Amino acid sequence: MNKKRLLLAGLLIWLSAQVYAQENHSGDLLIKNAQVITITNGSLENTDVLVKKGIITEIGTNLKASKNTKTVDASGQYLMPGIIDAHSHLALEVINEASSPITAEVQMRDVIDPFDISIYRALAGGTTISHAMHGSANVIGGQNVTLKHRYGTRDPNRLIMEEAPRTIKFALGENPTRVHGIGKNLQPRSRMGVEAVIRNGFEEALQYKAAWGKWNLEKQKKEINTAPPKYSSRLQTLVDILEGKIIIHCHSYRADEIYMLIQVCKEYGVDKIVFSHVNEGFKVAPELAKYTMGASVFSDWWAYKFEVYYSTAYNAAILTKNGVVTSINSDSDELIRHLYHEAAKTQRYGGLTDNEALALITINPAKQLGIDKYVGSIEVGKQADLVLFDNHPLSIYAIPQMTWVDGIKYFDRKSDQADQRIKINLKRSPDPFRLSTGSHDCMQDVDMSFTENYHN
Amino acid sequence: MKSKKQLILPYYTVFLVCTLLIIGQAQAQSDNNGDRRITTSYYISNATVIPEPGKIHSHYDIIFKDGTISEIGKNLAIPKDAKEIKGESLFVYPGFIDLGNKSSVEVPVLPERPKDFDTSKPAPELAGIHPHFSTAKLYQFNEKIEEEWRKIGFTIAQKIPEGKGMLPGSTTLVVLGHEDNNNLLIDNQSQFFQFNTVGGVYPHTKLAVMAKWRDLFQNTLLYREHIANYAKNKRIGRVKIDPVLNALIPVTQNQVPLLVASKSELDIRRALKMQEENSFKLILLGVNEGAELIPVLNSKEVGIVLNLALPEDKFSDSLENDEQGKDYDARIERARKAFLEPLSLASKYEKAGIPFAFTSMDLEKKDFFSNLRLMVDNGLSKDAALAALTTNPAKLVGIEDISGSISPGKMANMVLMTDSLFSKEGKVSMVVSDGYLFDYADDISSEKLGTQVWTYAAETPVGQSKGTWEFIKKDDKWEGTVSYDSPKGTGTKKAKMENLELADDSLSFSFMVETNDTVLDVTVTGDINKNKFEGSMDIKGYNQFTVQATKKEKPNKDHE
Repeated sequence: MNKKRLLLAGLLIWLSAQVYAQENHSGDLLIKNAQVITITNGSLENTDVLVKKGIITEIGTNLKASKNTKTVDASGQYLMPGIIDAHSHLALEVINEASSPITAEVQMRDVIDPFDISIYRALAGGTTISHAMHGSANVIGGQNVTLKHRYGTRDPNRLIMEEAPRTIKFALGENPTRVHGIGKNLQPRSRMGVEAVIRNGFEEALQYKAAWGKWNLEKQKKEINTAPPKYSSRLQTLVDILEGKIIIHCHSYRADEIYMLIQVCKEYGVDKIVFSHVNEGFKVAPELAKYTMGASVFSDWWAYKFEVYYSTAYNAAILTKNGVVTSINSDSDELIRHLYHEAAKTQRYGGLTDNEALALITINPAKQLGIDKYVGSIEVGKQADLVLFDNHPLSIYAIPQMTWVDGIKYFDRKSDQADQRIKINLKRSPDPFRLSTGSHDCMQDVDMSFTENYHN
Repeated sequence: MKSKKQLILPYYTVFLVCTLLIIGQAQAQSDNNGDRRITTSYYISNATVIPEPGKIHSHYDIIFKDGTISEIGKNLAIPKDAKEIKGESLFVYPGFIDLGNKSSVEVPVLPERPKDFDTSKPAPELAGIHPHFSTAKLYQFNEKIEEEWRKIGFTIAQKIPEGKGMLPGSTTLVVLGHEDNNNLLIDNQSQFFQFNTVGGVYPHTKLAVMAKWRDLFQNTLLYREHIANYAKNKRIGRVKIDPVLNALIPVTQNQVPLLVASKSELDIRRALKMQEENSFKLILLGVNEGAELIPVLNSKEVGIVLNLALPEDKFSDSLENDEQGKDYDARIERARKAFLEPLSLASKYEKAGIPFAFTSMDLEKKDFFSNLRLMVDNGLSKDAALAALTTNPAKLVGIEDISGSISPGKMANMVLMTDSLFSKEGKVSMVVSDGYLFDYADDISSEKLGTQVWTYAAETPVGQSKGTWEFIKKDDKWEGTVSYDSPKGTGTKKAKMENLELADDSLSFSFMVETNDTVLDVTVTGDINKNKFEGSMDIKGYNQFTVQATKKEKPNKDHE
């Protein structure tokens, strides 16, 4: 090992130690003189934001902080809430458990990969929260997990936003019918089958709930006269959905299938539902506004399969104007790095205001994930997930400069290193230059034995 | 080794096979191969004995009879019928215990998939969920295979099942004794668990493995409740026997540990999560990363089995200049550092006071001693290394009363080495296993030195060209690779040697070098004088250069 290498290695270790050390910071922070885009309370010129222990405590001018508080001069720069991605598969070891049309029991929190470099890249694009979802192979997929991008930790649990309510993935249309119907000759083979699978699941869940209700009464008796029922975390999860404990996030494209699920949910008294992708959402916008927690769409992604041909870049704007809580999501480790560009497209296609456009990637996805009490805007009492841009975030010239989660800086463009990995995978080529994080999509981990047609 | 906490002591009601009875049977058979022993009584005389980690006695005798050690000490009175094993110049260690060994375990025969097979609702056996399969039943002692383990000092092995799925069966303990005996020690010693699946059916990924485990655990508790209630009240309906839940009952009762294959940091965390959710005795098998988890593990009741396999050095092939990109040196250095980490993992566990055993599950047998030395070179104490092969695994699987050390009453399992276990010169001369003597002294003399590494330098018009020659003897034939500076840039390349002739006093070989526009045919010839080589390197159609080379003393330490 020559001296140059030693020196470089030493420097690198020191730098990575800096990254890791961020975790131990107090979460105290003072940002001075920023153009503060609050989302919920307009834009404030030359304003300071004070953060204590990760919570925004004051917004105003000439704020003072204790000596030890880190102060950032943000003169001429734009501070906005951390971007929230309501549909992502970031930082997951596994995405699909494609072996059954209903897999409500599986939990994405079991397979969080804290070493995924994409978390850091998302931070570099100002995204502080992502909704790590099960894939779309099954009608009722797994339970998702809402992640805070506290990159640098080796502990998967540290990434979990514990305040976030439970959510679950549903999927309609071509993916589940292809995987199970065409692939394995199981129900569902058509959109009718998809509905039947959901209805059967809900009915079974009701029977399950009744059986356990009976058993719990029986157990209190002096003499037990029946056998205990079987435990099923799958059916228990469906019971929890019916009891309103879990928000459904449903992969969907066509207006008819969206309307179908709205009807089924109404019938079973479920009102916590968000539709994802929703390319034909503009056709059922009033219904989405009335009966759901909103729609999470792409800005302009379509035509990658038959069910996504009837689409428009005006979708987000039409939904917004119809009163639907609308968000723009990435569904991609690449797109998640520039969701502010995606939001800006709604100004070109639909003429949304700055505030409406930015709400699509902040407070609206927060509402859809049930975390708007904590994040999604710059307000006193909210968690200090913040991103500082050099230009207005909807400008094509905007570049994120710093990103904070809970008042702790996890990205700073000035100290960005070429190698920000936490862990080196020795099973791959030893040379990091050749490593890619790989791309994943809604159908990742769907075994070839499940489907012959392998598409997005 | 002093440990902060106790290793898990598994409950074992299961049967101990009395080897004495079986020896009697073996002697009643005809003896065509001349295997029958004249006596079952031996003594090792005047040896250096390491009865357990941390102790060493010179000029000690050991007496063992009928598979059991009867006495150990100085100047013992020798029984008349005992056969002497001359221990002078030999080091005697307790026989090694391997956990997580699959040799000689057959793949279970599974039922056929029905015609209308529904992959979402497979029978448990078709989903890799068959904890009721016993490895004891699928284990066929095969002397040819087991001898390979015995030759490197292992006398007891924990056999794990071969199935692909999450609960492939129970493990079993065997002694690597005489092939004519039933060598089973303990059946149903633990339940084996892995995050792998058979694929294509539910559970297909780690996601469903975790969910399925939760369901199985809860349903085992309900099954137990049903059994208990039915015992009191027959009106509730009989318990339909469920072999899967039946097999898991002892796990839920903290009687039989769950042996979880968890090599990676994230798998270890998943296993710990399983234990937090549902209490059971946990043993982590095959750990080879996650030094960061030591503080977490220190606060838990977990058995640890580290992996004897270490990663390979993949850094000799560097990239071409144009492929390197920015900060290449720093990045390759990080990768190199990451590669070194598993080498010091064992020493970190030792420093934290966490006892651990070793598993050969991913080990190539030829690497056993060199990997041990690598770990010792990277900070592991020799006592801790020996404990990981003897006393710790014995405790972990609950056989410390019959194995793990050399003392009266324990099974006669011993390794007799020509030098200390951790010295380069130490070779296994004899192994006593289950009281049988296996003599491998002849192997040592025929083995000679199996690997050689030379560093060379050639003077060329553009400067000095340096690299290494590595030779490995396979089936009495030398094979070699040469590493050299890539003519395209700063990286190093490797090439296989052709026409290799390696003798005590001469060496010649040729190899091919690819440059941007041509392939060069290079031939090296010269003379060897002890550890020095002098000769020429002839590039066909170009020029001839002088080459000098030196033989490395310890070829296995180049990981440093």
